[in-house]
Amino acid sequence: MELYVPILVLAVLAAGFAVFSVGIAPFTGPKRWNRAKLDAYECGIEPTPQPIGGGRFPLKYMITAMLFIVFDIEIIFLYPWAVTFDKLGVFGLVEMVLFIVTVLVAYAYVWRRRGLDWD
Amino acid sequence: MTDTITAPTIEYLLLSPLLVVFGAAIVGVLVEAFAPRYLRAAFQVPLTLLSLVAAFALVIFVVVKDGVPNKAAAMGAVAADGPALFIWGTILLLAFVSVLLIGDDFVPSAVAVPGSVEEERAVSEGAAHTEVYPLVLFAVGGMLLFAASNDLLVMFVALEVMSLPLYMLCGLARRRRLLSQEAAMKYFLLGAFSSAFFLYGTALLYGYAGSIDLSKISTSLSSVGGQDSLLFIGAAVLGVGLFFKIGAVPFQMWKPDVYQGAPTPITALMASGTLVAAFGALLRVFWVALGNLEWDWSPVVWAVAILTMVVGAILAITQTDIKRMLAYSSIAHAGFILTAVVATAGAKQNSLALSGILFYLVAYGLTTVGAFGVVTMVRDPGGEAWHLSRWAGLGKRSPKLAMVLAFFLLAMAGIPLTSGFFAKYAVFSAAVSGGAVALVVVGVVASAIAAFFYVRVIVLMFFSDPAADGPSIVMPIATRGVVGFAALATVVLGVFPQPVLDLASKAAQSLFVR
Amino acid sequence: MTTHYLVLSALLFAIGGVGVLVRRNAIVVFMCVELMLNACNLAFVTFARQHGNLDGQVIAFFVMIVAAAEVVVGLAIIVTIFRTRRSASVDDANLLKY
Repeated sequence: MELYVPILVLAVLAAGFAVFSVGIAPFTGPKRWNRAKLDAYECGIEPTPQPIGGGRFPLKYMITAMLFIVFDIEIIFLYPWAVTFDKLGVFGLVEMVLFIVTVLVAYAYVWRRRGLDWD
Repeated sequence: MTDTITAPTIEYLLLSPLLVVFGAAIVGVLVEAFAPRYLRAAFQVPLTLLSLVAAFALVIFVVVKDGVPNKAAAMGAVAADGPALFIWGTILLLAFVSVLLIGDDFVPSAVAVPGSVEEERAVSEGAAHTEVYPLVLFAVGGMLLFAASNDLLVMFVALEVMSLPLYMLCGLARRRRLLSQEAAMKYFLLGAFSSAFFLYGTALLYGYAGSIDLSKISTSLSSVGGQDSLLFIGAAVLGVGLFFKIGAVPFQMWKPDVYQGAPTPITALMASGTLVAAFGALLRVFWVALGNLEWDWSPVVWAVAILTMVVGAILAITQTDIKRMLAYSSIAHAGFILTAVVATAGAKQNSLALSGILFYLVAYGLTTVGAFGVVTMVRDPGGEAWHLSRWAGLGKRSPKLAMVLAFFLLAMAGIPLTSGFFAKYAVFSAAVSGGAVALVVVGVVASAIAAFFYVRVIVLMFFSDPAADGPSIVMPIATRGVVGFAALATVVLGVFPQPVLDLASKAAQSLFVR
Repeated sequence: MTTHYLVLSALLFAIGGVGVLVRRNAIVVFMCVELMLNACNLAFVTFARQHGNLDGQVIAFFVMIVAAAEVVVGLAIIVTIFRTRRSASVDDANLLKY
């Protein structure tokens, strides 16, 4: 049974953090209402009216989506390492750091080439 | 969990050529990210060339220091054996000369729509697409790994690392943008299709053998019974992926389109480096993993080789575009090399055939880079003079250049005193000794057909009058050096082939490691 | 019974393959290629289960990564050609033939 104590503690911590954040927000945050905030929540951006039968989306969305996909999936390699990092020792750590640095290089390129700017 | 996982051992020195190329590519990306635009070319060109030279030097250093390794490196994932080291040296050399060809053939800004205001602005700002250099390095790194991979997963990843940059590079030609983009799309869609086949073949072979290690697949051939359909379908589907990469008929469709549309330096890299790497991988799969299955695959390779030689040679005759013609000639040459692939003796790989193939790859690679180098020099106002009729009378306007091109074409036809003669002799004699006499007869006939269209170009250049508004000749110093070097290599390999033949047979002596 | 998964994987692969050959929109063709890659993944994972070793599952990871990289490169190429021609049909890409 005591195997589950850490999980319980984690659950309590997570729930506590969520309740705390939601509870404190009305007291600390600025209150500026606009249409997007009063609308039904989709993604926090005011929905653009669509032409009947669907329209074309600007390419910006797709570029963002592509960047997201590629950086999101690269990180999958962290999972096997996370399971065995204590057994792989220094070797695994060094290789993982090298891997992350390589991904960071790509990230730096995207950032400097203004791939992350919206406009 | 009681099982222990031990950290793998990695032979860093043996793999250093690979690491240098990939490392330089990553540094290249950083340069693109942080260096100001006017400095980028000044960084990228020396970085690329130096890394290729350093990798080449490391290949030689590895051989001199430890001799040819006899077991696979990195826990059996990468086999840097004799043939692999020879192929590495070849690819690095060919990549070096191809990079030297890169001039102003690339778009200043790939994102700009052709003919748009943004494109004009990019041109007037003198923007240059220096991303080309890291992309080339990634592609070269993929080629090196592809030829040396000892399990099917590494081979698949290497295939993609090699292909993805090439797909993009194909679409970056400065002139005839639409054609170039279309070539990129065709190459990409067909390439992705073929790599899906490669992967499904890998899956089936994994299902058969329970391992993706080439040597374990080989040993499983005798121990696993009753799963033959998995094995045969797997091997066939895997073969589709590999034949696509070398451009063997009936998987050759992409080659003329892509060679025509891509910027010429990239075409040179693909025609030489990719072909070398793909043959390295093909031999490894067929000889190491499926060597014991020879009775089953050799009829297929026979048929593919015959089709490739004949279709390549015949379709080349009808071409009016010089790059397309060279593409079909490259298809025919892939067929000639395939004749030696069947000359294995069961699981005992044939070192004679292997050394013949290695020599062929060096000789043909250098000749073809030289030929594409000449193509970049002959310019119309709107770019390269691609139509063959524009080449009429070149022998009178610029005799030296025309002679050099004629020499390259004769080498491709396999005339004595050129490297092509000994190359063809080496693969054909290996095929004969492997019992494939009929194949060699077809090969000789196809060579004769091929000689016809090579000679046709030569006749056109020397025995017809130049047009009044003929193309102009542009001779950048680097291109001139590349063409000169390729011509010299073609002569030297044609007159004194022995040192390189010796080197190739020494590399082939140890055969592929298992 | 793992055979069913293999049959499913073969079917998915075939559907993808036929899709590549008959569809005309470059994006759809490309989605069919992705379907083929996913069929491969299913086969890998099933065989890993059959053989009782983890190789197949590790391979599936790598295939996902490679497929993601391929998606990005492929879509970038298709978008470039779309911006030029305002069409993503492979039939319109007809400058290169014979």
